[in-house]
Amino acid sequence: MNPEISSGFAGAFLDDFYTECDEHLTAIRDALVTLESSIGRAQPDPTVVEKLFRSFHSFKGNSAIVGLRSAEELAHSAEDFLRELSHNKLTLTSAGLDLLMSTTQRLEEVAASHREGKPGPQVAALVAQLNRVSGKSSDEQLPDQGRPTPDQTAQPVSSDEIEESRARGLLILRFQFRPNRELDQRGVNVNSIRARIGAIAEILRAKPYVNPDGVVFEFIVAMKAPPSEIAAWEDDGVKIEPIEASSEVPPDLGTGIEISRTVSEPENAPGLFVAPSHVVRVDLGRLDDLMRITGEMVIHRARLEDQINRLSARNPAANVRALLEVNGALGRDLRELRESIMRVRLVPVAEIFARMPFVVRDLARETGKKVQLTFSGQQTEIDKYVVERLKDPLMHLVRNSISHGVESPEERVAAGKPAQATLFLRASAIGDTVLIELGDDGRGINVKAVGRRAAALGLPVPQTLSDTAVLDLICTPGFSTRDEADRGSGRGVGMAVVHNAVRELGGTLSLETELNRGVRFSLRLPLTLAIADVFILSAHDQTCAIPQSFVQEILQMSNEKVRRIKGAEVIPYQNGVLPLVRLRSMFGFEPSPQAALPVLVLSSERGRTGLVVDRIHGQREVVVRSLSDPLIQVPGISGATELGDGRPVLILDGAALTTGVSRPHENGNLPGHPSVAVAI
Amino acid sequence: MKMEISQATLRWPLQSDMTNQTYVIFELAGAHYALRSGDVQHIEMLEHITPVPNTAPSVEGVVFSRGQVIPAMNLRVRFGFTREPHTLRTRIIIAHSNQRTVALIVDAAREFRQIPQDSIRPIEETLTGIDGNYLDGVATVTDRLGADRLVLLLNIDAVLNAVPTALEPAMAEIRGHGPNPLHSLVSKTQPTPA
Repeated sequence: MNPEISSGFAGAFLDDFYTECDEHLTAIRDALVTLESSIGRAQPDPTVVEKLFRSFHSFKGNSAIVGLRSAEELAHSAEDFLRELSHNKLTLTSAGLDLLMSTTQRLEEVAASHREGKPGPQVAALVAQLNRVSGKSSDEQLPDQGRPTPDQTAQPVSSDEIEESRARGLLILRFQFRPNRELDQRGVNVNSIRARIGAIAEILRAKPYVNPDGVVFEFIVAMKAPPSEIAAWEDDGVKIEPIEASSEVPPDLGTGIEISRTVSEPENAPGLFVAPSHVVRVDLGRLDDLMRITGEMVIHRARLEDQINRLSARNPAANVRALLEVNGALGRDLRELRESIMRVRLVPVAEIFARMPFVVRDLARETGKKVQLTFSGQQTEIDKYVVERLKDPLMHLVRNSISHGVESPEERVAAGKPAQATLFLRASAIGDTVLIELGDDGRGINVKAVGRRAAALGLPVPQTLSDTAVLDLICTPGFSTRDEADRGSGRGVGMAVVHNAVRELGGTLSLETELNRGVRFSLRLPLTLAIADVFILSAHDQTCAIPQSFVQEILQMSNEKVRRIKGAEVIPYQNGVLPLVRLRSMFGFEPSPQAALPVLVLSSERGRTGLVVDRIHGQREVVVRSLSDPLIQVPGISGATELGDGRPVLILDGAALTTGVSRPHENGNLPGHPSVAVAI
Repeated sequence: MKMEISQATLRWPLQSDMTNQTYVIFELAGAHYALRSGDVQHIEMLEHITPVPNTAPSVEGVVFSRGQVIPAMNLRVRFGFTREPHTLRTRIIIAHSNQRTVALIVDAAREFRQIPQDSIRPIEETLTGIDGNYLDGVATVTDRLGADRLVLLLNIDAVLNAVPTALEPAMAEIRGHGPNPLHSLVSKTQPTPA
């Protein structure tokens, strides 16, 4: 393992590895079962072969990450074999299938031994076998027909089928049924015997013989263990005897039989299931369903509450106390249910952090830079959905840091820094949000160069480039400070993709940079996506919601306090001023005639803004729906919800509002075309 | 062998579907248009649209459809006709294309028709006033009263995919394709370098 990864961390990461192994093995087994039906056909289903190939490939990749060399090698050989199979359109023989099954079983054993810290079983024989088969396959079909029939003088019943069953570790038995009148009267006849045998074993061959004593029906069967009630069978006129393996000398190596025999007898075979037994793996889709249903219930309860309130307002005499109590209890239970489901969905961010050392190591080696990666807070938990979607953005930021931020060792020493750069990844939970920070002690962002580049691209560049303005520029699609794209980062799409991914998750991205001191990116993300606490606001006839996590304070503002600075409205706030955004002008409505209006002070890493509204209707728990269509992905709006009447209510993007992305614009609001100025 | 037989038996009805597709026929600015019924999820009365600021002019806002929040696009505005107030005949057609679902606001829609594939002719752009890229062709359909009328077959993918989104103008400007309306707004409020 990488020495930079602490042991507890490595443990968590390894658990993940084992569960992933299990997943791949399950997928492989499923595909093999499907393949079994195509044995001997002209060509196995290419999609199944493709699926198998991918699974073995992923297994190989995983094994390489944890340094499980033997599994890596074995999976690699299986991959080669499958490639031969699909490229040369070979017929899959049952021997070939057995080989793959043995490989799968051996991979499982290797992973299980690794988990238990035991030395893993040998794979060399299987690898050799696989290589031989795939090497041969390039010019001839996988041998099956060409296989020599072992010498079986004692048993005139030898066949490929029997050999294959034996190779699968099954016992081959001969059942001989001699019918007679007495048995027939008891209802025991060849059909009932066949049915009984069929229930406990696989009938490979059934054949009647005529000998001096009468008719004998012979069944050659394959089964896992000898039947337990041999005596009972004998009472019914059935004689059972095993058919010995034809020879202990392995037949032609190309058959695949010899290998599976060596493989199917691992000593002290470790448990079949690699993942810890007390863990249940649940498809994320099912949790989504649970969350959705809970969300519906939250909406229904809100509706119920509305009705109760209406009832008590209209009819003061109505005794609504009991209803209110039930409603209150329902609300508490629902919140608990929601939190429980949310907890189930939470996974430690270590899941993504653990991938970073490999990214760092590769890229550092490639660029000749020296980088040390440190972690903290990797046990911080966040929604699985969020984690999945954070992988790529975080990886991109790490790559960016190394290829753009970190200097060469010589440069660093010359600048009086240690030759080895430090990259840190930090996660922490703040209320309902998780903060992930990524920083380096590299050269920082050259703000002037960014400004020049932006101007050259025709982007509007503010005179003073704050960190926020720099971030906005580098997040513009198509922006790159490098002319040539290098492998690590930079095709001009990177930061835009990072920014969009964070935004889609309802999070915020911010930046701090200091020349020659380093860069720090902060990603603030909601703990969970599906349900959020919001304030319901309105302006004119438009109802909106804003996540409570952005609201720092609520003030009452009188119009005479408003000042204008460079065309923007501000009010005095604490020791400075608070820029204002009016919800009415966001939607293109006339200013409110009211003299005093409520203001929500919104706050994020990127700044503070006062949101002026007509009314605040209170707090609600709402189900957040994303605005996934590009037509409605607009600055200032992060999602939508409904309050029970089936009408979409927009959820304002607190982060965008605090960065001035949605500052109102005096001339842009044409009637019917609500418009907001966009600062890029 | 089995597979081949089943494919052969499947082929016939598939071909018949190809020659006689079902379409949803709707009205827009006095003309008749058709959408493949396979691209249409359902048709609804227009009830409530929540306006969204900063979208393309043709996007009136969002509506809920089966738990999803989807854009509602006014096809009149999309095609450059005048915007008209909604009436009782106004419908929204929930159309599905390339994993996107969009509500199309049309003047009226109430008919499903089979249109024989061989009655579809290529479009003559000058006749329609609509960019030919949005249309798959034109067909003559006989209505219930026995009168022939022209129906324009809409290509839903082209209609949805060519609409500029919030980010596309910025991309276009960087690539040097024309002015960016968002930037012209910005330049009025933000100082720009000389």
